[in-house]
Amino acid sequence: MKLELHKVKVSKLAWGDKTAVRDGVLFVNKEELVSMLSEDERLAKVDVELAMPGESVRILPVKDVIEPRCKIEGKGGIFPGMVSDVETVGEGKTLVLEGAAVVTTGKIVRFQEGIIDMSGPGADYCPYSQTNNVVLLLDPVVDLEKHDHEAACRLAGLKTAAYLAECCRDCEPDRVDVYETLSFRESMHAYPDLPKVAYLYMLQSQGLLHDTWVYGVDAKKSLPTLISPTEVMDGAIVSGNCVSACDKNNTYVHLNNPIINSMYEHHGKDFNFVGCIITNENVTLADKKRSSSYSIKLASMMGLDGLLISEEGFGNPDADLIMNCWKAERAGMKTTLLTDEYAGQDGASQSLADSCPEGDACVTAGNANEVITLPPMEKVLGYPDEANIIAGGWDGSLASDGTITVELQAIIGSTCELGFTKLGAYTI
Amino acid sequence: MSGRVVLVTNNPRYLSNVTSIDFIDGSSWDVLVKVRDMVHGGCKLLSHPLYGNLRPYQQPFRSAILSLKSDNDYSRVDEYSLTLIEHALSVYRSCLDRLLLRGVLPPATEEDYAFMDMELMKQTLLQYDIFSEKGV
Repeated sequence: MKLELHKVKVSKLAWGDKTAVRDGVLFVNKEELVSMLSEDERLAKVDVELAMPGESVRILPVKDVIEPRCKIEGKGGIFPGMVSDVETVGEGKTLVLEGAAVVTTGKIVRFQEGIIDMSGPGADYCPYSQTNNVVLLLDPVVDLEKHDHEAACRLAGLKTAAYLAECCRDCEPDRVDVYETLSFRESMHAYPDLPKVAYLYMLQSQGLLHDTWVYGVDAKKSLPTLISPTEVMDGAIVSGNCVSACDKNNTYVHLNNPIINSMYEHHGKDFNFVGCIITNENVTLADKKRSSSYSIKLASMMGLDGLLISEEGFGNPDADLIMNCWKAERAGMKTTLLTDEYAGQDGASQSLADSCPEGDACVTAGNANEVITLPPMEKVLGYPDEANIIAGGWDGSLASDGTITVELQAIIGSTCELGFTKLGAYTI
Repeated sequence: MSGRVVLVTNNPRYLSNVTSIDFIDGSSWDVLVKVRDMVHGGCKLLSHPLYGNLRPYQQPFRSAILSLKSDNDYSRVDEYSLTLIEHALSVYRSCLDRLLLRGVLPPATEEDYAFMDMELMKQTLLQYDIFSEKGV
């Protein structure tokens, strides 16, 4: 499968009469966008705001972040099973508005998730402080059932991302990135001297606000399966989760998965990247056993030498991570794990809720319990009083002047377990 | 699956929907201690005790689903269940002084925590056939 990403650079946002990109500025026709989103009868009120890097703006509570993309050539449509038909994607050409993002915000339950600060110390921890954000403020009709509310917010974000890109589909790209995955028949013999390595991509799947969708299918109801990395770039995997915000893979991160990008970079040089297996992180222990055994069975059928495993979330999924690890190792595959840590505010507690001796190669995205003070911002998009009941916050988190003291857990994407973070450590 | 299945919880929301329930009128810690004692008595965990991505000081409710028999042999402790519940207790112990108790949050917020707690257990409850949407 071969996919070309036609990237149109966006360095600024502005309101305009017509939604289009001109000289790096994405103009947004607010009236047209609000009108389209208001067609959803589950939403009583829709508003759109713009937030750009460096501004004194805070956004909360954030539900999802999505990169605007659309298919310009090839089978299927963007976000299949959500805003497009369920046809398989991952081939042809896809337009990307690089540097732009759609941010959804709204109150689904009374405790809240997800802060984005566009400047200040919080911005250093949040990848979306660097994107030009089209922010959707979504208020539901009275007494809307919570699953319907979540679905309405999710679809509004995806529809907006598709709409923005679709309006710019004739733009000349600033850059074209090409990704190709060979068939198994070819890839198994492509680099006989290099180890065969795949990516085991764990998807959050515990329930409402903790779910992920694959081609519109609830990941908790699916057995592990194979997916081409280019399908992921076309939105085959969509986030339905935001609790806790720091280590949930937003749709934006799935589309730009740094692990996949990095594995492509090393492909043919350090190892032979032969594909991805997706699996879930259910609450039921029997599901954990079934999914981990089934994933490693698929890996064994592929004759892998190594497996890179990324987790989404903490606690419950630590058990899945560890089962995947030791089952792979005992089947003869080397593993590397990607996770984050909940080591307490002093960093002294045990980082993960599970472990195994085989898990001897592990990359961490940081301690989510680290406390940070976020100074007041001139403008808040969303619901500022919710900081007191935000996961990662506590009663008293929000001071009268607007200062918020929280754990990193509350900052969306701050300890992303796919490595989509702004801060890192390097060996010197 | 062998034997009877029971939900141990301090979340009153389940009382009207779950057919087999051991209600603990106490804290989330009390639930985990009860589950640990049951595991030592031969019961087997069917759900992960650290479900949901909220810390002990962020969610006042805790629930666990157990099989009352372990391979029809009460004399044997299920080691994996014991490992999971001890790890869960260890996580809770590390922040026991900040544990969020029932009755502290505004009622509407606490109700949403109770709702989310049930949402996250629902799939397992349905799998073991002890949940009724219509009520019991």
